[in-house]
Amino acid sequence: MIIHVKNLVKRYGDLVALDHLSLDIKEGEIFGLLGPNGSGKSTAINCILSLLNYDKGDVEIFGKKMTPDAYDLKRDIGIVMQNVAVFDELTVYENIDYFCGLYVRDRAERKRLVEEAVAFVELDQFRKFYPKKLSGGLLRRLNIACGIAHKPKLIILDEPTVAVDPQSRNKILEGIERLNAQGATIVYTSHYMEEVEQICSRIVIMDKGRIIASGTQEELKAMITLGEKITVEAFSIEEEQLHQLRELTGIVSVDHMDNRLVIKSDKGNNNLETVLEFLKSHQIGFGRIYSEMPTLNDVFLEITGKQLRD
Amino acid sequence: MPVFKLSLKIFRKNWVAVSIYIFIFLGIAIAISANSVPEKSIGFSQEKAKVALISEEKTPLTDGFQKELSKSAVLIKLPDQTEKLQDALFFRKVTYILRIPKGFTQSVLSGGSMQMKKTVVPNSVDNAYVDLSVDQYWNLARIYAKHEPGISQQQLVNQLKTNLSGSTPVTIKAHEQAKTANSFSMYYFNFLAYTLSAALIMGVSTLMVVMNKRDIKRRNFCSPLRASSINGQLILANLLFALSAWAILILFCFILDSKSFGTQNMVYFLINSLLFTGSMTSLSYLIGNLMKNLNAMSAVCNVLTLGPCFISGVFVPQEFLNDTVLKIASFTPTYWYVQANTRIAKLTQFGWPELSPIIQSMALLLAFGAAFITVSLVVGKRKNLMNE
Ligand SMILES: Nc1ncnc2c1ncn2[C@@H]1O[C@H](COP(=O)(O)OP(=O)(O)OP(=O)(O)O)[C@@H](O)[C@H]1O
Ligand SMILES: [Mg+2]
Repeated sequence: MIIHVKNLVKRYGDLVALDHLSLDIKEGEIFGLLGPNGSGKSTAINCILSLLNYDKGDVEIFGKKMTPDAYDLKRDIGIVMQNVAVFDELTVYENIDYFCGLYVRDRAERKRLVEEAVAFVELDQFRKFYPKKLSGGLLRRLNIACGIAHKPKLIILDEPTVAVDPQSRNKILEGIERLNAQGATIVYTSHYMEEVEQICSRIVIMDKGRIIASGTQEELKAMITLGEKITVEAFSIEEEQLHQLRELTGIVSVDHMDNRLVIKSDKGNNNLETVLEFLKSHQIGFGRIYSEMPTLNDVFLEITGKQLRD
Repeated sequence: MPVFKLSLKIFRKNWVAVSIYIFIFLGIAIAISANSVPEKSIGFSQEKAKVALISEEKTPLTDGFQKELSKSAVLIKLPDQTEKLQDALFFRKVTYILRIPKGFTQSVLSGGSMQMKKTVVPNSVDNAYVDLSVDQYWNLARIYAKHEPGISQQQLVNQLKTNLSGSTPVTIKAHEQAKTANSFSMYYFNFLAYTLSAALIMGVSTLMVVMNKRDIKRRNFCSPLRASSINGQLILANLLFALSAWAILILFCFILDSKSFGTQNMVYFLINSLLFTGSMTSLSYLIGNLMKNLNAMSAVCNVLTLGPCFISGVFVPQEFLNDTVLKIASFTPTYWYVQANTRIAKLTQFGWPELSPIIQSMALLLAFGAAFITVSLVVGKRKNLMNE
């Protein structure tokens, strides 16, 4: 077990930010911590790293108790904070070199690692820039480079891709998968379900300091009753026909708005075919048709009754 | 030592802000050196007043007095006629008319209180010297007459002559000036209080504010570097910065006034300024630990350097400041630094009685330094990162 957290409780006054949180993160996985704003992801990370006092609970990293002065454990951890922590007084290159230098003494070795990190986040042409001169997305990329340059065994990234454009984000996600392939265990927090779905091998969904679901993507989706969602461009359909559609087996809900027919179905049935047959036999003209499998958002929605993203 | 190296880089980045203070200071210092090179104290030639001495009696004592007076004044012979005397005064042929009344010698010898009459041109500086010589001669005569009753007039004249002739060692000392008194170096070291404080606050406090930002602190705390090692490296960097700032400023002083560096006074100037550097460094460290961000940095720097400098006598000598102001000023290290400086500049002897007030001021500088460091540590303990 790379990280073992048991019954972690953290209070801010009356607010319970972490409510008996327990996590187990295995070697080699990309672990996703998903939750809306204020659900306690950053608080959990900070407590795990002994950056914050907590009220109750145990934290072990690499099988040893994590404490503020567990320096031998810290050596193998890379951290990318949610708040960008770089020096305005240093250039991009110098920043990465400084943070890498906290872990790696040897100059030649460090130079190689820093160059690799610069290439990793594609900041080569900005290496002489000062952080004040970087855009928000570039700054995030610098923040990531500073956290991972020393090639740690465990990398914790707290919402590292906020404000990063989609192409760069994809590059970063691919990079993280590459780091993982090279042997690093990854802990990744985000409130973007797409990201988490894309790279994480195991996911924990948090809300209000508590874990509300955990498992692989498929396991999570299997937990909910909802199956696929079918959207049909239909221009004229009568109220009576809508009613008949609702009566069909396997159909959970039918809505018609703005020339769009949205049909939600149970899991398991071949609902698309049923719907198509119904439309044909009732001679209802239709345009494009899409079918979507449920997302983590649907999982979150079904469990908490609210959207993951506001 | 990554944190140490980082600190040096941050200092270098700050160099412009710091050097502005230093160059303004050098400008002022050079302007002063151009104006204040003391000319008079080198060639010590006394202006002689023109005096008309009219004696209504002629005794050995009055003759002796005339001879003595002629050493410090130009004696002009004038007829004893009121009108002529007044004309002479009016046209400045003389500036001082001294009349010895009849029976004056006898009065002096017998301890009487008869006075000489003097008529002078008002506001003449030279007359002050005449007054001095007159008083000196006759007071001494009275003292001898009183303590050696029966001494003859001729003996008395001889005594007075040896006593007043040349300069006795005591009078030499009273008039000797330290080479550094009112010298360029004295002004330089006083102004140094301003520049050093500014440079140290800009350098040391800025570094501490940068390193104390919560996210940076957390990030450093995630690393395998011990907290004590991080703090140690920061302190080392700050000390190096403080010493370099001091050394650079002293080097400028050497370039501009190398003469003073041969004096013993300079040794004490250097010790004093080094102690001041120490106490200001720890003050800057404290400020750096109290401030949240850099926005207010230059404002804080100006208040904390200009304020104490004004009330402590850096720009205006302490004797011109009122007591309340000085009382308040005595709660700043700058006050004690300037006080010691002013005393050091005037030192001609280096015995315990002369040095002890200086050493006292220096000890206070040390105490200030220690106090600031202690407060920093207490504040640091309170602000535990893990509770934020
Ligand atoms: N220093 C603090 N003092 C008081 N309350 C805090 C503090 N830090 C966080 N909280 C509260 O704790 C809860 C969890 O915050 P946390 O930052 O862990 O959320 P998060 O999941 O990281 O959210 P986000 O996605 O916005 O980063 C929030 O309700 C927040 O308001
Ligand atoms: Mg967060």
